[in-house]
Amino acid sequence: MKIRVIAYSILIFLTALIQSTIADSIKIYGVKPNIIIVVTVIVALLRNETEGAVIGFLCGLMQDAVSGRVIGFYALLGLYLGLIIGKSNKKLNKENVLISIFFTFISTIIYESIVYFFATVLRAPLDFVHSMKNIILIEAIYNSVISILVFIIVSRMNKRFEEYEKNSRRY
Amino acid sequence: MLRLFKNKIFILVSVTVVTLVVIGLSSIQNSKINLVGDVFSTVLSPFQRFINYSDKKINDFFAHFEDIDKLRKENEELRQTVTKLVYENEKLIDLKIKNEELRKALDIKDQYSTMDMIGANIIAKDMGNWFDIFIIDRGAKDGISNNYPIVTSNGLVGRVMQTDVFTSKVISIIDEDSSISARLSRTSDIVVVKGDRKLKEQGLCIMNYIPADADISAGDRVETSGVGGIYPKGILIGKVKEVRQRTNELDRYAIIEPAVDFKRLEEVFILKEKKIYDDETSEENK
Repeated sequence: MKIRVIAYSILIFLTALIQSTIADSIKIYGVKPNIIIVVTVIVALLRNETEGAVIGFLCGLMQDAVSGRVIGFYALLGLYLGLIIGKSNKKLNKENVLISIFFTFISTIIYESIVYFFATVLRAPLDFVHSMKNIILIEAIYNSVISILVFIIVSRMNKRFEEYEKNSRRY
Repeated sequence: MLRLFKNKIFILVSVTVVTLVVIGLSSIQNSKINLVGDVFSTVLSPFQRFINYSDKKINDFFAHFEDIDKLRKENEELRQTVTKLVYENEKLIDLKIKNEELRKALDIKDQYSTMDMIGANIIAKDMGNWFDIFIIDRGAKDGISNNYPIVTSNGLVGRVMQTDVFTSKVISIIDEDSSISARLSRTSDIVVVKGDRKLKEQGLCIMNYIPADADISAGDRVETSGVGGIYPKGILIGKVKEVRQRTNELDRYAIIEPAVDFKRLEEVFILKEKKIYDDETSEENK
């Protein structure tokens, strides 16, 4: 359990670091990927809703700290993202990459639509179709591609933990 | 009671409520709750600084090989321009002296000269795709506080939105939350320059509230008006790129091309007011 907490802290830290620095230089069509969503979705899929929710919450808190306008908005969004994805994973085959790609795609679209809604709710409504086409869809595709990489990293990490936990239980 | 604390739904609801309260509290400017964010950004900032620094070095290294040919050509061109500029410079120095004399005579207080310029590096960008906030490596310990204007040698960049101990968040003028009272240099009409989500992708912003009788055309210089109190007067914002009409002839808006290239921004300056007990300025102001 202890080692899991340490590994997750490093994962969250690296995610926030990469998202705030390197992500800006790997833009495609002016859109950068959102690794925070990808990490939250994949942890929630591979593990369970509690871990997904905690990771989502903490990653979101990092985003709030670094570039948010208020503290807690992205944290709350991440919490529910992890929770909902985690709830739905029970009947699915966890080891399938395609499932994580699909879930990343859908979650990105919903997540960014919510951010869009709250970002514009008090202002003049901009046309949603434009944002959908130029930002959300591109980001969703980009995130899906990145989710393959994150899936490999997190599932390897997961396997290590399971082995470690099995061994420590035996002795 | 203990069972209640173990209930997941109870935990979920209480976390949600606490977070909602925190959101509410942190939306108040300068509230103490922002210290929570302070902790995270302080931990992250040295790493961000390191990544940013090494990224720049690697880019410089590769650019080195590509540039040799270009540099040779550029060097020749630059030599020619230098001679031209030296001549022009002499003329300008002459004009400057005359200008200073006239200013003294008129007793105009130059707003720029009462400002200190502090250099800063951009160490991180906004994590999402919606806003245009970036993080600089100067914070409260350097005496930075909210609403300090940020400039480069080319023109206006934005203003400080929030300060932490070692870092500050800067909102740039192309962010849609930014709105600046501006002035057309040629005609002195007061307008408003705002960020726009669609134009942001191209690094442009929009000009609203153009007076019906204003004579405005593409290529006009736009600068800060000094109205509003955040930005000092006379900082260059950019040029008018295009004037468009909405529904009728009176309802016009213009697209502004900022003088600063936001895609290649690395170093900025923070304008900070000099302290009043500074001897030199107080003498100058007499």
